[in-house]
Amino acid sequence: MEFLESIVNSFNSNLILNNGWLVVLKGLWVTILITAFGLLFGTITGAILCFLRLSATGLLRIVAKTVIAFLRGSPVLLLLMVFYYVVFANSRIDAVYIAVIAFSLNSGAHIAEIMRSALSAVDKKQLEAARMLGFTKYRAFMAITLPQAGRIARPVYQNATINLLQWTSVVGYVTITDLTRTVNNIGARTGDPFFALFFGILIYLGISYLVNFLFTLKIRNREAL
Amino acid sequence: MIQTVDLCKSFGNLVIFKNINITVQKGECVAVIGPSGTGKSVLFRTIAMLEKPDSGQVFINGTDITRKDININKVREKLGMVYQGFHLFSHLNVIDNITLAPIKVSIMKKQEAQKKAMELLSMVGLTEKASAFPHQLSGGQQQRVAIARSLAMDPDIILFDEPTSALDPSMTGEVLAIIRKLARSGLTMMISTHEMSFAQDVANRVLYIDEKGVYEQGTAHEIFQNPQREKTRMFIRKLKVFSYSITSRGFDMVAMNVQIELFCQKYNIDSRKINHIQLVLEELILEVSGEAEGKQQLKIDFTIEHSEEKGEILITFCYEGEFQNPFEHEEEGDNLGMVLITGVAKNFSHKYEDGRNTININI
Ligand SMILES: Nc1ncnc2c1ncn2[C@@H]1O[C@H](COP(=O)(O)OP(=O)(O)OP(=O)(O)O)[C@@H](O)[C@H]1O
Ligand SMILES: [Mg+2]
Repeated sequence: MEFLESIVNSFNSNLILNNGWLVVLKGLWVTILITAFGLLFGTITGAILCFLRLSATGLLRIVAKTVIAFLRGSPVLLLLMVFYYVVFANSRIDAVYIAVIAFSLNSGAHIAEIMRSALSAVDKKQLEAARMLGFTKYRAFMAITLPQAGRIARPVYQNATINLLQWTSVVGYVTITDLTRTVNNIGARTGDPFFALFFGILIYLGISYLVNFLFTLKIRNREAL
Repeated sequence: MIQTVDLCKSFGNLVIFKNINITVQKGECVAVIGPSGTGKSVLFRTIAMLEKPDSGQVFINGTDITRKDININKVREKLGMVYQGFHLFSHLNVIDNITLAPIKVSIMKKQEAQKKAMELLSMVGLTEKASAFPHQLSGGQQQRVAIARSLAMDPDIILFDEPTSALDPSMTGEVLAIIRKLARSGLTMMISTHEMSFAQDVANRVLYIDEKGVYEQGTAHEIFQNPQREKTRMFIRKLKVFSYSITSRGFDMVAMNVQIELFCQKYNIDSRKINHIQLVLEELILEVSGEAEGKQQLKIDFTIEHSEEKGEILITFCYEGEFQNPFEHEEEGDNLGMVLITGVAKNFSHKYEDGRNTININI
């Protein structure tokens, strides 16, 4: 009973008092924003890097390879700090935008490698079989290689999305008030960090489940087609 | 019609073929044979412009398709290819495999394409597999779908690159039957195959590829029964003769028996006779390796040959060492193995020359 009571108390002091839940919601929104745009631009960046990485021109391949290796090798927090404190130090760009740029680049490098390995896992002879039926190179790629690579890449891409979501929790270092920072602040204010932080973890878990759910939805749609 | 004019292809320094001149008339079926690695696949791929020739021309229905201003995609709509490895679209079911190109390339209506696909499926005997996925089919079934997929574009020509080499002998028949049907229907085709009886049956001509070009050509009868040139002879003999060497007592007899069985199945030899052949060889090997025990290195070579005229099997069994004739045994009745052999053999003989025993057995 006492335990239950203490939970209710914590709930009140952390989330109800001073409209704590509104603050949490705002932090959650920032986290989702950075994750969603990071993923969107990361996917675009990844596709471009992958395209260059597989291009016939040696120079482009080397450039893409170097960029990917650099981005994958550098911790995303350091990348973020470089952008915030060095590259955009004197500009008035909102820190959230800077975070989106940093996370796009980082996840873009990972996604480029995911795409490349998925593409190379597809049977090239099937593409050739399509060419022999009269498909152009581009249309054969769209009809045969891309859907198959998509299936291969899906689980890894899903993981990358969850990873991205969790890594956004470091944006507090560059003054962004995301979900992690918010629950940390609330915990510090109420002197009850356990409840606040644990509540934060539950929310991250919830979003992860939601992401996984969205991925399965996409699959069902495709199977229905 | 297919015509190549002085077609040359090499990869870097490796010359695959030089100055190939082939003509396949409309409605003709030409078989291409040759040892592994002589460039049969590369030749087919070059004819389809999947590989760029170094020089020379390829004419398809009279048009030079090596020209830069040719739309190769349009050409390929009428030029099909069937691969050794099937290569069905693995993310699509059977019917979608067949209708994909008609719908997307020739812009056929979906319903119409499906109706046609069902007709093709019934032609290859797979109507009930229409909604199966490629991985749910046997190799033979996959190859039949691949043929239907190719036919869906109404091609004038199909190139078959070893369409049965990846299949179990039990499945080659179903695929060959369909190709036979197509040959009779007047489709122009080139087919690389090692199935002699099949080539004899359907091919108007046989090309033997070796030495970087067409080494010898003629009717199936000429090439298989009476080849004129050295390498062709050797190749045909290898196709007709099964040979095997044993150098240690620990050799894999199970694997040997499987190979013998596969060889015999090519000639439709019935299973009783196959058993006899295996029995005779096992007994001979046991006899010879038992006698020679500890004395010297074991060295046995044998060949199995099928003589079509007599309907007989000729076994030539050689082993090195001292004179040893297993048919002349002192202790009578002791040797069950030899009794078995003399029981199934039509005739048998033994001779000894230069430290080599040779036994000939006809079954
Ligand atoms: N893309 C390529 N690059 C370099 N060498 C190649 C390429 N494709 C084939 N070759 C070489 O060309 C030669 C002929 O190969 P090919 O596959 O045409 O032989 P094949 O007659 O079809 O043999 P098999 O009966 O085993 O199918 C081989 O030595 C092979 O290694
Ligand atoms: Mg080949």
